[in-house]
Order: sequence, then C-alpha cells, then structure tokens
Amino acid sequence: MTPTLAWLAPVLVPLVGALLVRLPGRAWPWLLPLAPLPAGALALAGAPGPPPELGWVLLDARLLLDPVGRALLAMTALLWAAAGLAAQARAVERRGFAVLWLLTLAGNVGLLLAGDVATFYTLFALMTFAAYGLVVDDRSAEALRAGRVYVVLAVLGESALLAGFLLAVGEAGGALDLTVVRGAVADSAQRDLVIGLLLAGFAVKAGVVPLHGWLPLAHPAAPVPASAVLSGAMLKAGLLGWLRLVPLEEATLPGWSATLVTVGLLSAFAGVAIGLTQREAKVVLAYSSVSQMGFVALLVGVAASGPEASAAGVAAAVAYAVHHGLAKGALFLGVGMVGDRGGRWRRRLVVAGLALPALALAGLPLSSGALAKVWAKDALALAPGGWPEPVTTALSLAAVGTTLLMARLAWVLRGTPAKSEPSAGRDVAWAVVLAAVAGATWALPSVLGPAVALPAPSLDLLVDALWPVALGAAIAGLAWRLAGRTATTVPEVPAGDVVVAAESALRRLTAWWRGRGAPALGRLVALADRSRRRAAGLLAAGGAVERVDLRLTRWRTAGALFGLVTAALLATLLLPAG
Amino acid sequence: MTATAALPLALLLTSLVPALVIFALPEEREGTRTTVNMVGAIAKVVLSGMLVVGVLEGQVYEWRMPLLPGADLILRVDSIPLLFVSLSAVLWLTTTVYAIGYLEGDAHRSRFFGFFSLCVTATIGIALAGNLLTFLLFYELLTVATYPLVVHRGDAAAIAGGRSYLLYAVTGGAVLLAGIVWLHALAGPVAFLEPGLDDLALGQGPALTAIFALLIAGLAVKAAVVPLHGWLPQAMVAPAPVSALLHAVAVVKAGAYGIVRITYDLYGQALATSLGLLTPLAVLAAITIVYGSLRALAEDDLKKRLAFSTVSQLSYIILGVGLASVTGATGGLAHLVHQGIQKVTLFYCAGNFAKAIGVKRVSEMDGVGRRLPVTTATFTVAALGMIGIPPTAGFVTKWHLGLGSLDAGQGWVLAVLVASSLLNAAYFLPAIARAWFAPGEAPRQPELGAERRALSWWLLAPPVATAASVLVFGLLAGMPLSPLSLAALIAEEVLAR
Repeated sequence: MTPTLAWLAPVLVPLVGALLVRLPGRAWPWLLPLAPLPAGALALAGAPGPPPELGWVLLDARLLLDPVGRALLAMTALLWAAAGLAAQARAVERRGFAVLWLLTLAGNVGLLLAGDVATFYTLFALMTFAAYGLVVDDRSAEALRAGRVYVVLAVLGESALLAGFLLAVGEAGGALDLTVVRGAVADSAQRDLVIGLLLAGFAVKAGVVPLHGWLPLAHPAAPVPASAVLSGAMLKAGLLGWLRLVPLEEATLPGWSATLVTVGLLSAFAGVAIGLTQREAKVVLAYSSVSQMGFVALLVGVAASGPEASAAGVAAAVAYAVHHGLAKGALFLGVGMVGDRGGRWRRRLVVAGLALPALALAGLPLSSGALAKVWAKDALALAPGGWPEPVTTALSLAAVGTTLLMARLAWVLRGTPAKSEPSAGRDVAWAVVLAAVAGATWALPSVLGPAVALPAPSLDLLVDALWPVALGAAIAGLAWRLAGRTATTVPEVPAGDVVVAAESALRRLTAWWRGRGAPALGRLVALADRSRRRAAGLLAAGGAVERVDLRLTRWRTAGALFGLVTAALLATLLLPAG
Repeated sequence: MTATAALPLALLLTSLVPALVIFALPEEREGTRTTVNMVGAIAKVVLSGMLVVGVLEGQVYEWRMPLLPGADLILRVDSIPLLFVSLSAVLWLTTTVYAIGYLEGDAHRSRFFGFFSLCVTATIGIALAGNLLTFLLFYELLTVATYPLVVHRGDAAAIAGGRSYLLYAVTGGAVLLAGIVWLHALAGPVAFLEPGLDDLALGQGPALTAIFALLIAGLAVKAAVVPLHGWLPQAMVAPAPVSALLHAVAVVKAGAYGIVRITYDLYGQALATSLGLLTPLAVLAAITIVYGSLRALAEDDLKKRLAFSTVSQLSYIILGVGLASVTGATGGLAHLVHQGIQKVTLFYCAGNFAKAIGVKRVSEMDGVGRRLPVTTATFTVAALGMIGIPPTAGFVTKWHLGLGSLDAGQGWVLAVLVASSLLNAAYFLPAIARAWFAPGEAPRQPELGAERRALSWWLLAPPVATAASVLVFGLLAGMPLSPLSLAALIAEEVLAR
C-alpha cells in the first residue's frame, strides 16, 4: 500500500463502505467490523511517511499522527471493529443504520487524523450529525426525544466551535494548521474568549457537567453497540478537540485550569450521585461516563496549570480516555449480553467478564484504571500551587464513588430475565474488547512515553489503589444487605437531569409564546404588511399596473411583441458599429 | 466582427433564438421544442466554458455599439461576470431539464418555455452588461419576461402573486432609473470598470452617496432585502422550476449581482469605503439575514420556508460586499454560486415532493425519505449546505465571511453568522429529521423502485447533479476553477484596484 493510501484509507474505506451498503448480496454486513481496520493498522504501524499533500481538498487539508492521536486511534478502531461485529444483526434489519454507522465511523477516526481546523471541523460535524441516526434508531418517542436533545446541544456546541474556530484562525492570520493556530491563540489578545468558546463547544461532546444532559438520554435509546462507541470512542473527540486547539503547552492558563478542575470534580461527583439513583443499567453507565469524563476534564485542567505539568497532564488525560473508552465499551457490550439465554455457566461468564472493566474503572491494582490514576496523581504533583493536594484526595474519593456506581450496576442488572438469543459475533466482539482492557496497562506506557512510564510496583501504590475500591465495596455490601431489609428507596433523579428542567422551562416559554408572544408579533407583521400594501397601492394609482397585467396575460400578443422588440434590438447590435 | 466581440453576443443568442423559435412552434411539437431547448442550453454551457478559459488567460471579451448619444450598449466579460455567467448557463441547463420533466403533459408549454428562455436571455444580458444603461435595459426585460412565468398557473393566487411581483419590480426599476439618470447628469457616461467617479468625490460626495442609495434601493427590491422582500414569498405560486430559476439564478440573483457590480466596478472599493457606504450595506444585509431566517422558521409551507430562506441567504452575498476585506469579498462572491446551487436543489426537491406524493408542507414530510430516497438525499445535502455544515459549499461561504469580518475589524458579523446558522439549523434540521427518521405510514426500507416510477429521470437527474456540486464545491474547495478559487482570484483583483 502506498503511504498516501495508508493515510487516507481510515476515512475513505468507511465512506466508500457507506455507498456499498446498497449492494445486493450478503457480504456487506462485514463492512461494519472491517471498515475500522485501516485505522487500526495506521495506529499500530505509525505514520508510513510524511502526510500527503491535499491542497485541493477543503481549505488545503492536512493530516497528522502524533502519539496522542495514535493512542486514541488505536482504541477507537478497536472499539468500532468490535462494536461493528456486534451491530451486524441490527444492520441487516435496517440498512440505513449501517450507512449512518459507517459515516459516523469515518468522522470519528478521521478527526483523530486531522491536522488543520477545517478538516477537523468537517469530520467532527460528520460524526456528530451521522450519530443522530444511531441515537434515534429505535424510532420510539423516547428515542426521538433523546435525538432532539442530542441534536440541540450538538448544534449549540458546534455554533460555539464555529465562532471559536473563526476567531482562532483569524488570530493566526488565516492559517489553518492546528499547531500554528494553537500558537496564535496563546498569544492572542482575545485569548480568554477564544479558549472559552472552544472549551464549551467541545465540552458538549465530552459530556461534562453542565452540558452532559444528552448522554443519559441517548445511551438507553441507542442500540447497545452504538452506545458502546458513543460512550467509548465518540466522547473522546471532545477531549481531542481540547488538546488540538487549546494552547495547553504554549501558554499558562491558571483561570481556565481552575475552571476545568472545578467542572471536572463536579462532573465526577455529580455523575456518581445521580447515577446511583438510576434504575436502568444503560443510564447508570451513562452517568458513569459523565463522572469519568470529569476526571479527563480535570486532567486537562492540570495540563493548563503551567508548563511543568502540561506534558504529564496531557498524557494522563489521554491514558485515562483510552482506559475509559475500552472499559466503557466492554461494559456496554456486556450489559447487552446479560439477558442472553444459555444457562447458568454462560451467565456466570458474562458476570465475570463484566467485573473486569468495572473493577478497572474503579481502579483495582494492575488494571489500566490504576495506571491512569497513578499518572493522574503524578501530573497533579507537578502542578504549581496549593490546590493539587486536596484535589488528589478528592480523586480517591471519586474512585470510591465509581466503585459504588459499579455496584449499583450489578444491583440493577440482577434478575435480568434471559430472553435474547446469544450470538457468536457479539461473544467474539466482547472477548476482543475485554482482552484489550486487560492489555491496556502494558500498551499505554509504550505509546504515551516518555512523559509517563509504568511505575515501579510498591506497597504504597498498592494501598493507594486498593483502599477506594475496598471502601466502596464495603459500603456497597452494607447497602446491599440493608436494601433487603428496609423499604426505604432513594427517589430516582429523572435521566437527563438539567435537560428535564430546561425542557419544562422551554414548554412554559412556548406556551407563553403561543398565547401572547406570537399574536403580538403577528399583529406587528400584519401592520408592516398593510403599510407596505398601502404604499404599493399609492404607486399603482390609476390601475396602470392592472392594465399592463391584463395585456401581458394575453401572452401571444406579449410574447410576439416582446420577441420582436428584442430581436430588433439585437439586430441593431449586429450592425457594424460607428 | 472579431471573435472576442462575437462570443458575448453568441452567449445571448443561445437563449434568444430558442425563445423565438419556441414562440413560433405550435403547442404539440414537443420533441422539437425539447431539442431546441436542450441545444440552446448546452451551447450556452459550452460557450461559457470557453469564456472562463479565455478570461483566465487574460482575454477581455467586449462588444459595444452606440445606442443613445453618449451612451453605448456594452456587453463585456471580465472577472465578476464570469461567475454569474457560468452559474446562469449551468443552472439554466439543469432547470430546463427539470422543467421539461415537470411540465410534461401541462398546457401552455410553448408560452412557458418561450418566456423561460427569454428570462435567461435577460439574465445573461444583465451579467454581461458593461454599463448601467445596458444593465437597466436587461433588468427591465427580466421583469417583464418573468411575469408570465409567475402567473403560469393562471388562477387567482397566481395572478395576485404576479401582480405583487410586477408592482415591486417596476417600482424598483423606476428607482434604479432615477439613480442612473442622476449619475449620468452628474458624471456623464460612465461604464463599469472605467469609472472616473473618484474625481467627483471631493465636491460631490453627498450626491454620490445619494445616488448609491438610489441604485442600491432599486436593486434591493429584486435582491429581496428587508423591507423590500414582500413580493418573493408571494411569488411562490409559480411552478417549481420557475421558483428554482427565480431563487437561484434569475431574478433575486440579478439584484444581488447588481449590488456587487455597482460597489466594485462602478464606485470601486476605495471610493465606497471613503464615502462610508459599506458598513450601512453590511448592517442592512445582517438585518435581512436574521429577519429572513426568523420568518422562515414560522412557515410550514415548504416553498414559503424556502422563499424566506432565500431572503436570508441572498444577503450573505451583500454582506460579503459590505465587508471591506479580500476574504469577506471572496465569501460573498463564492456565495453567488453556492447559494444558487443549494437553493436550486431545494426547489427541485420541493417540486418532486409535491409532484410525486403531494407533500407541500414540512409537517407532512414524515417518512418522505423512505418513499423518495434520492430526492430526500439531495434535499439533505442542500439543506446542510444552507446551514453551513462542512464539507458543503455553504460552509466555505460562511467560513470566509467569518474570517473576512475579522479581517475588516467587524467582529459583530460573527454573531450574525452564528445566529443565522442556528436559525437555519432550526428550520432545516427538523425537516430532515422528519423525512428520514419519523415513524410514519411510509415503508420500512427505502424504495428506490417506487421513486423511479413516480419521477422520471428528467426530475431526478437535476437535483442529483446540483447536490453533487454542493458537496464537490465544498469538499474540493481548493481545486482550481472551483467557485471559491475563482472568487478568491476576483476578490484579490477587485480589491487591489
């Protein structure tokens, strides 16, 4: 394969695949698991040479593959391939699902390779809008509502991004290259405005509080494999956006650092708190994602705190994202298999399989989660100021929360009736992701080094990682026992929390508009129309227009006359001038 | 007559001759009429292709003859007309194809296609006009040639819509005439590109400003700038191909093009800036952009929604002119083409929806995507273009307007662009979502076969071609000869003089 093709295949293969779904025959469903493979190959093999010159494409498109991109690309490709295998059955039922799946995939892997603002924005938008179709796949009222909330927040986010991109590129004198743009933003007089817009725009995608409202609605509505890639891979596009456009290494941003750390902590705890009240497994997982993406946002905040911590902060954020992507993907795929028929042993295997990513999220020693948390604490230790210490403690407390949330997941899953048919495709897909969850601990240091390395094993480390899990397990055990005896229930926070409040406010506003606002505007418009007509009437005094009108309706007269006049006019043109 | 003089004239004749032939043909000679139409349309595309190549090589095509004492009739192709001529030629071809399919079996087709060709003749004349007099001549011709098309259906609503159109257009023409006469009295004969108005600027600044206001006001009627846009939504009674032509190429575009011409080629960027004419223009465009979108949001009737969307989108072009920067002008000029291909696609689709399954309102669009998948796919691409989502052509426009506004130090425009995108999303995305995802009586899987039975290739090929160009012009915006590249070349040249 030529280098150019190796660079372009990750995007082109899914795009062409989307066109091939219409083909007759039975081979096309294999497009779903196979289309992410070129991306995976590129991530594993690394850049096959300098990126191709694509001057004609978009506004002089550029590609880029750095360690951050590689780590995320590998995780993304693996998750999409596995989820694609699990999604084949759905695709056969509705081919439109397969088309949108492949388009979303093209956007998701492509944005990880984008080297300039326009390319990034294009593929980001492709992913965002194609994924709408995955969210509403069910076509039920809940799914359509989830889709509405998703798309409204997405469009608001994209608007903030558009403004942010334009301001950033404007500062760079029209240059689109991501490195150049980042540098220009760092030196810009409007730095805070630009960074604010970019942070907020990408935060919608990352699912960080208070812009997370679409997540708990979209996840239960979407089919299981779609939720897996949505939570596992697509949320990370928000992180990459931050890393690509916010000058974390080029500038010291104490204000934004504090904001991100605060928002991150808020997400981490709010996600746990609201998630614990949920009664549906996929909603619990969605809130867990809100909580985990809070960790990621916090680490980006650490990276923004100053040059000492930026490299370590970025590496830790990416490691956390990769770890969470794999673990959450495995959890979603596994939750879809709990209800499979197949006897006691199969169910035990599924439960054991679910325990691996759940414990990894909680940060059990030797898991990818433990590694990510060690790196997070290392990065925090490098950050200037007095705040990192309490934040480190808070991180451990949040890990207790994560353990509790995973226990809650087990609670809501217990007694799930066995009614779905097991499928070999799903089993293989899940096994692949589980293997990746287990292997991530050893793969991450080699990709993200040298800013981070595998820590030497020590007792301190073990205790550090173990106590939040143990404490969480103890509390969960206690609650489990109590739940059998008392009748007290925690009231469920409606999924989507802030969105639900916003929806009701919007309903009230709409009612007001229908009752008062619209009629008032209608009167105004009618007044304007009347005065316009009156003015027109004055001009038409004498009915001259009507007469012209009438004559022109007799088209043959008009047409002939008209043609003659024009022809005569043009005949004079043909005469020699002078 | 030399070749450089013959080409502009030939461009005009490729639609005038078909018009005359068609008027002479009896109604039932359908095959001949179609042939004449197609030959004319294809010839025009070929000729305009030759022009593009020629002009880029530095050739100037000009034909002039004395008409009134001291006022020549001039047809000339230089940089700015190039965009408009090629747009008109190509979209006339696709719209002719569409109209042949759309009106199959209708009455009065001779009349229709005759005036249709005349309408394009007038548009080409406007595009090639080398001075204000020539411009005015064809501008009025356009008004008259379009009227029978608007009232084609002949019912009360059509007559009322036509009357309103005529009233607005004739008044606009009169105001334009007043401006031209005043300028003539003040400066003598002035042609585009050889202005000589700069000398007057010292003593006659206020007069020049007033003339500019008159000229722009006259043109703004056709360009449907708020508050002079009232005729456009009413003209929606016209058949779909006419609306397509009206909204993409002929009438509204003629107004916007006139504003571009007068600002750049008559007054010149420098003079217009020093007289302080550009910022008011940009503000006017901004108001129109937001107001048009707000009204579109409230319309359920698909064609009316599209009409208000035109009001809004057309002012992107004027906004580009109002931004005194190369990037902004690039965006505005490129939108001359981009708006055309996007809007023409949307009207083809509106026509197909109505013709094949009787859907005329957005609220009736549930499940349309499964019944007419090809049409709905093209609708989706064009609508995403209107919102400005990459990689469509509309995104390229918005991007350059945004950067241009920053270059010009007019950061407030960014807010207008974002608001407009949001509003466009608010009135296009629900339609798209309904069409593809709403559960309805429609079949579960898309039915390509059913669509092919309901709509002929004449009706499907044009939207597919124009929607493809929406994607290509966005995806390959950096390609030589793309609207963006041409617009960038032109803007560079125009703002340097």
